[in-house]
Amino acid sequence: MQILDDLWIKIAMWLRGLFDSFLPPWAAQLVMDVLGILLLIVVGIVAVLAFTYVERKIIARVGDRYGPNRAGPFGVFQALADAIKMLTKEDVTPTNADRWMFLAAPIVIIIPAVLLYAVLPFGRGMIGVDLSIGVVFIVAMGAIPILSMLMAGWASNNKYALMGGFRAVNQLLSYEVPMVIALLTVVLLAGTMSTVGIVEAQSSVPFILVSPVAFLVYFLAGLAELGRTPFDLLEADSEIVAGYFIEYSGMKFALFFLAEFINLFLVAGMITTLFLGGWQWPILPSWLWFFIKTFAVIFFIMWIRSTFPRLRVDQLLGFAWKALVPLSLVNLFLVALISKLVETVWLRTLIMLGSNIILLAAALLIMGRLFQKREAKARAAGEAAVKRYYAS
Amino acid sequence: MYGAGILKGLWVTLKHVWGTYAKDIKKFPRRYAPGGILKRTDYDLYGIFTLQYPEERYEMFPRFRGALMHLRNAETGQPNCTACGLCERACPHGVISGIESEGKGKERKATAYHYDLGRCVFCRLCVESCNFNAIEMSHEYELSRYTKDFVLGLDDLLKIGDRYGVHKTGEAWGVKE
Repeated sequence: MQILDDLWIKIAMWLRGLFDSFLPPWAAQLVMDVLGILLLIVVGIVAVLAFTYVERKIIARVGDRYGPNRAGPFGVFQALADAIKMLTKEDVTPTNADRWMFLAAPIVIIIPAVLLYAVLPFGRGMIGVDLSIGVVFIVAMGAIPILSMLMAGWASNNKYALMGGFRAVNQLLSYEVPMVIALLTVVLLAGTMSTVGIVEAQSSVPFILVSPVAFLVYFLAGLAELGRTPFDLLEADSEIVAGYFIEYSGMKFALFFLAEFINLFLVAGMITTLFLGGWQWPILPSWLWFFIKTFAVIFFIMWIRSTFPRLRVDQLLGFAWKALVPLSLVNLFLVALISKLVETVWLRTLIMLGSNIILLAAALLIMGRLFQKREAKARAAGEAAVKRYYAS
Repeated sequence: MYGAGILKGLWVTLKHVWGTYAKDIKKFPRRYAPGGILKRTDYDLYGIFTLQYPEERYEMFPRFRGALMHLRNAETGQPNCTACGLCERACPHGVISGIESEGKGKERKATAYHYDLGRCVFCRLCVESCNFNAIEMSHEYELSRYTKDFVLGLDDLLKIGDRYGVHKTGEAWGVKE
């Protein structure tokens, strides 16, 4: 098992030795860096190809259908066929579009998506750069796609695209707040901002068992950041056709598509790293555990997408500001208080878990009560209107 | 409690993912039934319901009106059509045209017959006007073409007729002679 665990590191060291034998040290380092970057990009693209197929299959199965089953056995080459179609399509720029901004938007969205792979720990010692401020880097890079979406929406010279861009900005900015607070909870628990440090801090108990509320808030905010189904207002098909990338075709559209799925992998990877203990688990090699956990999270995200309908704009923003932000703030306060007050580690963990469950139950009860009240009010108003109609 | 409905919904969809796969594994080698969905009658709540079109096809009901077809005489194998032209007259859209014949009296046989599929409304008036058991509506419903050439000749119509093996017009309608 040790051999399997170190497999990729051993390969990297062997390659380094190979390059060192005939290249100067700086050139060998450069070649290794370029190889690493290429590997990360290839991992991203292969993951995208796999996810498009898996997602379509899962959603089809929920609807009692087969899903793609024409290209290759069980349709496994469907994603490849889609990629070829994308590459060979005509690249259209609409008249009166802001040409340069229109060109730049897909590039601006894909670069931070790929950059974020650098701080994702794929396994023990398998990370692009172990930044000491990894979490800050994630938040900073995660905010750049918003700019790209507004650029795309504005430059397309299309009202639906502009509407999608506006929606993207207000949704993503609102969900950034609870996301950052949930991240802060994790940083508080781990005592470090480095992603490797956070994974190592979960060697005994993963943070999902310490602070399930933070996990829930991060998960929901992550869904909203991805623009996936209960929160897919920024590309709501039935309202604004496709959102900010409506005018894009061919390779530029493919870049948006790629960024969306790379971000899906990233958010799942971040949830794994921050809450599920990253690559830590016995028996199987560490990198395998990372991928298993990430795929489990991705399956869950796809499952949610195939289950729930879309929220309304006011419900979406109301949920972010009235439910998630107060919940995450109270949770942060609780975690800070308990981690200062209780010294024993296992007792602290237990108290945190208990307080989190109580907090979650209280939040759900309060929300349920509020919704019941609102519903009763609406029903009373409706009945009064009916009565008035029959009286007149 | 608020949120219980969310979990319930997730459970329902998960059961469908798992249930369809369980059904597939149980009937492992058979993914599509060649006879159509009617042969897959053992579905309950779970399982794939959709017709897998190119592998499976619906069997049309007896009175379905598809493209026109020409019938053959059961003994001689010759077309029953005598080129009398009654169907051409009965047709409200001028779909049938260009009927040619050879021979006199009882020997008279059609040699050419043109049926414009693009204009046909499948009203079956031509079949009702026919006195010689010569034409009937087939179950042919895959009528799309790669070219604009929708006009079928006598040979094409006979080929369709051979495929459907109706030997008396009005059989499906319960018409007795």
